[in-house]
Amino acid sequence: MDWHKVWVVASHEYLINVRRAGFIIMTAIVPALGVVVLLFGTLFAGQARQLGAFFEQQFDVGDKAIGVVDESGYFSPILPEYQEDFVSYGSEEEAEAALMTEEVSKVLVIGEDYLETGQVVVISMGSGFSAATVSDSGTVRAFFVDHLLADRVDPALRERAADPMDVEPRVLSSGGEARGEGPWGFVSTFIIPYFLSFFLIMTIFTSSGYLLQSVAEEKESRVVEIVVSSIRPVELMAGKVAGLGALGLTQVLVWLLSAWGFSGGAVVLLAATGMVSLPLRVLGLGVVYYVLGYTLYAILMAGVGALGTTMRESQQLAGIFSFFAAVPYMLSGFLFANPNMLIARVLSYFPLTAPTMMMLRLPLAEVPWVDVAGSIVALLLSIPAALWVGAKLFRVGLLIYDKRPTVKEIWFILRGGRGE
Amino acid sequence: MIIQVRDLVKRYGDVVAVDHLSFEVEQGEIFGLLGPNGAGKTTTIRVIMDILNPDAGSAMVLGQPPGRAKGQVGYLPEERGLYRNLKVLDTLVYLAELKGTPRSAARERAMDLLERIQLEDWAARKVRDLSKGMQQRLQFIASLIHDPEVLFLDEPFQGLDPVNVERIKDFTADLHREGKTIVLSTHQMNLVEALCNRILLIHEGRAVLYGSLAEIKRQYAPHAVRVRAPRIPPDLPGVVGVELDDGAFNLALAEGASPQEVLRALLDRAVEIQTFEVAPVPLEDIFVAVVSGEEGRDDGLA
Repeated sequence: MDWHKVWVVASHEYLINVRRAGFIIMTAIVPALGVVVLLFGTLFAGQARQLGAFFEQQFDVGDKAIGVVDESGYFSPILPEYQEDFVSYGSEEEAEAALMTEEVSKVLVIGEDYLETGQVVVISMGSGFSAATVSDSGTVRAFFVDHLLADRVDPALRERAADPMDVEPRVLSSGGEARGEGPWGFVSTFIIPYFLSFFLIMTIFTSSGYLLQSVAEEKESRVVEIVVSSIRPVELMAGKVAGLGALGLTQVLVWLLSAWGFSGGAVVLLAATGMVSLPLRVLGLGVVYYVLGYTLYAILMAGVGALGTTMRESQQLAGIFSFFAAVPYMLSGFLFANPNMLIARVLSYFPLTAPTMMMLRLPLAEVPWVDVAGSIVALLLSIPAALWVGAKLFRVGLLIYDKRPTVKEIWFILRGGRGE
Repeated sequence: MIIQVRDLVKRYGDVVAVDHLSFEVEQGEIFGLLGPNGAGKTTTIRVIMDILNPDAGSAMVLGQPPGRAKGQVGYLPEERGLYRNLKVLDTLVYLAELKGTPRSAARERAMDLLERIQLEDWAARKVRDLSKGMQQRLQFIASLIHDPEVLFLDEPFQGLDPVNVERIKDFTADLHREGKTIVLSTHQMNLVEALCNRILLIHEGRAVLYGSLAEIKRQYAPHAVRVRAPRIPPDLPGVVGVELDDGAFNLALAEGASPQEVLRALLDRAVEIQTFEVAPVPLEDIFVAVVSGEEGRDDGLA
């Protein structure tokens, strides 16, 4: 290995790509979003409530009243505090007519046997979505509880029954120390690390995407034959992986620095006072997974990318790896509920899903150390294997211009039939 | 000896691309590497350039295995191109650095070479802004940006207009005069005749003709003379056939007859000779004859 040549390639790739419009936009977009958030924060500082109301309105079906057809007798008459939001109708027809003329947004038909069955027919116009979500609405819930318990229990109990808990998250680690308290704790233990993971993963893909592009461009423009007559393919690959990896790190660094800048050093101060100590663990491991994940993906993308005859073909071929990396994201709905579920643990040991899976799991919960160690070992073992396969495909793929090799030919190459 | 290829074999699956090929290239010569498409020329060059590993046999460049001599060898591949979005000067400097030339020396040499091909005003422009002819000239100097001892030119004249063919041809001749060793692979036989000292003709991975161009031409020359004159007397000694071709007479000679005897006989008979030459044989004819002869032999065997 001629390290000087690796350095020449690495610095060349870095300098070429750091000037790309795509990279600059990508890198600037995160701090730009920060600026937007700050501006909003300043502009609407005194008007947070109105702002909240504004957003609520956007997502609410409407501020129109809800029609009620009560056959059970529990909801007549409507309590004074609900008379603005709920209108009683004598019959279903009457209520439907009101719905047609848009006097009400939907109609609740409460049957005679409501107390036994709990069944309520919800009639609405257009999409059935608002009808389906009506039971999640706090106002509707309170309406039912208040009417059912009216006069039967004291007002404080009634109010509690309608809104039984106001959650304040407080998480303990296995050592017993608090992971954070209050809303800030939630932000520091979950939101920040989650977005950090997300950006790291994104960076892995922008960098290895550039790598793919750089290989495909050299092939498509045919400059590659001159290049490989000057430098060994493995040196070329190493240079590209290193140069574009440094590019990705630059992006992450810019983001972190801008975050620090915008928050006036608050994040750093908090970290120093120990308030964000656990996210730092996430950050440390995040960097480890970042480096390992990037190296694995970059090597594989370089190898497979070299097989395509055009940029588009290379991207299609490399798409398979993006798919694997995306699998943990598809599961993120379940992950939020249980970050240590079996499938998540299994995917943490599979090298192609391990980096994303672990980066997603780390901020969500205390991940068993055996999973951390196992995933790192899996990645460390798979990287040399990927290098062996990747370098071989890369070396041979680079010189096949006219057609994409078939699976059979690729197998033949890997067995050492050609190029070695 | 600059290049020494011994018993080289390279297979692609069941296809034998190079079949026990041996040849040598001497210091300071222009060596023609010829053959029909798919004969194995590019594969041979790629092995010598350390792009492919041979299945058997060996190639030595400047007395070293190909991997060690990369810095002293330049290569203009048949399938060629440059970074389209890079500036002309940056492209040359990067390619030189890959060959191990220090950056500052590379810049200096790049400017010199750009001047030689009249592209010095384009140094700061992007490669994609150059016309096709300019790009081809740029590719040519890119192959010698690191001042190599040996230069491999694979189809350097392909796709060039006549003006650029002449420029590249003159540049190649200049490099030869400067003492560079050049291996030229091309289908343009007139350029081989104009430039090469020795040639190797490959067919189906095997050497079918190898040696000095002059010697080969002598060997394949028809036993004939070509005379431009108003008339040819009928019973010239040593002449077995006369044929009028394009305003001159081709005189086929009998076995053992020499052109000098025929000239003397013509003068004796007071024929007004305008030109007299031993009938030349174009390299192209030798190429076609040898290759189709080989194919005929193969067919016969099959």
